[in-house]
Amino acid sequence: MNEEPRIGVYICHCGVNIAGSVNIKEVVEYAKNLPNVIEARDYIFMCSAPGQEIIKEGIKKCNLNRVVVAACSPTMHEHTFRNVLAEAGINPYLLEMVNIREQCSWVHSDNKEAATTKAKLLIRMAVAKASLLEPLKEITFKVNKNVLVIGGGVAGLSAARDLAAKGFKVYLIERKPVIGGNTARLGRLAHAEIKGIDLVGELSRQVLSSPNIHIYVDTELANVDGSVGDFKIKLVKNPRYVNEKCNLCGECVKVCPVDVPNEYEFGVSSRKAIYLPFREAYPPIYVVDSENCTRCFECVKVCPMNAINLAEKTEEIELTVGAIIIAAGHEPYEPPIGEFGYGVSSRVITLFQLERMLDEAGPTKGELKLDGREPKNIVFITCVGSLNTTPNAYPYCSRMCCSSTIKNALMIREKYPEANIYILHRDIRTYSRGDEQLYLKAGESLIRFARYREAPNVIVNPDGSINVRFFEETIQEEVFLPADLVVLSVGMKPPKDIDKVRTIVKVGCGPEGFLREAHLKLRPVEAATDGVYLAGTVTGPKNVIESIESGSAAASKASTLLTKEEVRVEPLIAVVDEERCSGCSICIGVCPYGAIRLKTQEKARVAEVDPALCKGCGACAASCPTGAMQQFGFKDAQLKSQVLAALTK
Amino acid sequence: MDKPKIAFYWCASCGGCEEATVDLAEKILDVVNLVDIVFWPVAMDYKVEDVEKLPDGSITASFINGGVRLSEHEEMVKLLRRKSKLVIAYGACSSWGGIPGLANLYSREEILRYVYHEAPTVENPQKIQPQLRIKAEEGITLELPEFLPRLLPLDLVVDVDYYVPGCPPTPEVTWKAIETLLSGNLPAKGSVLGALDKSLCYDCPLNETKPEKVLIKEIKRPHEVIADPTKCLLIQGLVCLGPVTRGGCGALCIKAAMPCTGCFGPLDEVIDYGGKAISYFASIVDYSDEQEIEKTLGKILDPMGIFYRYSLPASRLRGKITIAER
Ligand SMILES: Cc1cc2nc3c(=O)[nH]c(=O)nc-3n(C[C@H](O)[C@H](O)[C@H](O)COP(=O)(O)OP(=O)(O)OC[C@H]3O[C@@H](n4cnc5c(N)ncnc54)[C@H](O)[C@@H]3O)c2cc1C
Ligand code: SF4
Ligand code: SF4
Ligand code: SF4
Repeated sequence: MNEEPRIGVYICHCGVNIAGSVNIKEVVEYAKNLPNVIEARDYIFMCSAPGQEIIKEGIKKCNLNRVVVAACSPTMHEHTFRNVLAEAGINPYLLEMVNIREQCSWVHSDNKEAATTKAKLLIRMAVAKASLLEPLKEITFKVNKNVLVIGGGVAGLSAARDLAAKGFKVYLIERKPVIGGNTARLGRLAHAEIKGIDLVGELSRQVLSSPNIHIYVDTELANVDGSVGDFKIKLVKNPRYVNEKCNLCGECVKVCPVDVPNEYEFGVSSRKAIYLPFREAYPPIYVVDSENCTRCFECVKVCPMNAINLAEKTEEIELTVGAIIIAAGHEPYEPPIGEFGYGVSSRVITLFQLERMLDEAGPTKGELKLDGREPKNIVFITCVGSLNTTPNAYPYCSRMCCSSTIKNALMIREKYPEANIYILHRDIRTYSRGDEQLYLKAGESLIRFARYREAPNVIVNPDGSINVRFFEETIQEEVFLPADLVVLSVGMKPPKDIDKVRTIVKVGCGPEGFLREAHLKLRPVEAATDGVYLAGTVTGPKNVIESIESGSAAASKASTLLTKEEVRVEPLIAVVDEERCSGCSICIGVCPYGAIRLKTQEKARVAEVDPALCKGCGACAASCPTGAMQQFGFKDAQLKSQVLAALTK
Repeated sequence: MDKPKIAFYWCASCGGCEEATVDLAEKILDVVNLVDIVFWPVAMDYKVEDVEKLPDGSITASFINGGVRLSEHEEMVKLLRRKSKLVIAYGACSSWGGIPGLANLYSREEILRYVYHEAPTVENPQKIQPQLRIKAEEGITLELPEFLPRLLPLDLVVDVDYYVPGCPPTPEVTWKAIETLLSGNLPAKGSVLGALDKSLCYDCPLNETKPEKVLIKEIKRPHEVIADPTKCLLIQGLVCLGPVTRGGCGALCIKAAMPCTGCFGPLDEVIDYGGKAISYFASIVDYSDEQEIEKTLGKILDPMGIFYRYSLPASRLRGKITIAER
């Protein structure tokens, strides 16, 4: 734009908000005499319809090509005034806003003179910058209507179900051989008379009945390119070694020589190297655990369906989607050996192991027996892995362990009315619906609650017996309990390798490693990266209800994007001056969004910014050693003119 | 037609720039054929009076190396400016102050005290120190030039038309600059002659060995490693200023496995070389933990000497400014 700048300065009173401390008349007179300023006017509310009219009129009458609005914060009304410019027929990015409310009148309400002087100075700087503003073009992208859901737990399943119901095509990937996540391993759920596996079964039925959903198990994310509305996805499908011809006859298991602990039963029972994770598992196909398989080929020989192929290779899958939902869930906290006697005595187990034992369909058919005997004294310790209880524990509350502990204690009470049951807790947080009643019922059922502050001491005696010693906070006394069974109510931690997913999709995380929302309150299911949504426990501990809710919420948020034909992005992004760029690649490593790439042009390497990925953070422009990288709306020359205006009288 | 008249002069410099001119080798004869050298104190016996006698503006171009540190330098460059059509700041010291410019970190008094009295190698029982005027034995008064409060780059003392970068400029750069000047096709005032408009990485044979992301976890000082001469030095942890330094040197240091120290100065868009160098380098330290960052960058013991080695007097910082001076 080579034309002479013709600038209009519009100064807002904001009622008395600004006019109360800034001498508006003086500022208007001052602005009129600044270089390139054609007109300067004030109005009581610049953002109101008549105020907007004043600006439009000025643009038309004085033939303005730049506008400075001195009013409130640009986060408040930059959009409003950009639209005014557009409606008056000039490029909306030829606007510069000056915040004389927050930065002048509000902070200097006790000093009218200082507030006025500062307002003048800020306007002088804005006018200097405005002279160098350039018209910019908004960036638009077509939106692809497919979605990728990462993680097949209850959150991922409910998100997939809802999106498919709206007509979008969903690709659901699960890295384990089965869908269902952690819920599938829970017995009766705390808040409902339904078992975890039945709930997962119901959700899976809904998902499987939709022709819009493609499920890939044994599959992980390998790479993501592109950006909101148009992500190019690469997946890796690991070999399962058994195909869908499998009829679940189980002949293979009979001949497999390998025995390893069954992770789906949390080590309560063992399994073979070829196995079905659990009875109701989807897909209902056996799987070979390649790590432990000895390649003896016995199973291959006996399989009547010829369904086993031990030579199967990993497979790469490529997809294009418009949105990504991450529902990678959590992992139960695994106490280190020795913490509360865990791993030292077989009488110390986790809540998850107890869940499996109490499940009638589980490895012990619901029998709670240790060394063939029913335990008489059962001690639960809650907050294991949470609330900084031990040096290894996380600082947060895992939100579901209290209710789950009480639920399990009540189940034990029902089955074994004679047992002495103690729940040692730091605090009881039964906040979810119906949980408080469970707590009261536990009290009535003579389950004894005791409060500790210092982590209880679990002493494993040489004869195998166990004592739990702790200081009870309510009665202020040291308590000593003999225990036949100690159950550790373990909390949640971020899922294994979540950092890998996080780096590929470019999502931030909190200090403990859970993924971080764009804004905890305003945008709770969106990631800061456009087009990426977060559901379930991957953002932090939740119970099943909350996980399913957030799955549906993420689906709903994603669909507001997917129903659009195009997305528009502010063009305040970085741009490379190819004449100056030396191809040093410093900017590439600095960009947090992977938006910069080197291309070879006339044999030389130059950087190139992908406008779809750039967020306009400016990191590259600050690091570029040659000045080749500039940011639209904040170019060095524009900023320099502002600084000079501030420093020269 | 008369041959163009050329003058060479040196101010606060090490003599390397003069050496570099001589390094033109047999090309110096071409230069002598093409121009008349009217003043060159290092090589030829001309006196100041000879210059004073020349009509104003009669010298086609004066090549001045070194920064302005003595009152004599100031007088001479003002004289040459008057007598010349073009004044060329030749070399890093003249352009931005150079290594002698690092002395701006100390006051004049501190420098004199250290150099004449405190340095461990000095033995000066009579406490002799330069004086502006001294009575010599025969009763004559001798005058010495004044040691100015600080070193200034040439363009803060006189108007400068062009710059030739380098510490010293290589013979290739010097020859290219002379060719440009003699071509009659003069570039815009203030241009840098003989070098590239891109940074050294552009010209560096090792640039393509960089990984996609240039991020470093550990800084190494040159004496701590035997650098692999086939891999970008920066990614080996050496503080290479190639990315921020004007190219055109032919990557001489890099080819000797030594990181670039920045003697070709900044590119046109860069306001403050050292500031840019620091912000580029700090950006690629691959830690987000504050303590780790501090530990890594703590390896840079002399940030001024590394990042402002050639440009302190021309930078925003300028050096140490005493309250009295302000
Ligand atoms: C001991 C314990 C007891 C509990 N008891 C109750 C209870 O009684 N009531 C209740 O409401 N809640 C309970 N909960 C909470 C409940 O388990 C969770 O709320 C629920 O499982 C969260 O669902 P999700 O989909 O977010 O995560 P998950 O169930 O963890 O599912 C995530 C899925 O994503 C997969 N995945 C992970 N990473 C990747 C990847 N990179 N690529 C592909 N797939 C991936 C995982 O394999 C998993 O299948 C309990 C939790 C624990 C630990
Ligand atoms: S402005 Fe930020 S997001 Fe955009 S390319 Fe530069 S570093 Fe990347
Ligand atoms: S940092 Fe600057 S010069 Fe280097 S590649 Fe990026 S844009 Fe080019
Ligand atoms: S950083 Fe140094 S060694 Fe690496 S490419 Fe640039 S100039 Fe060459």
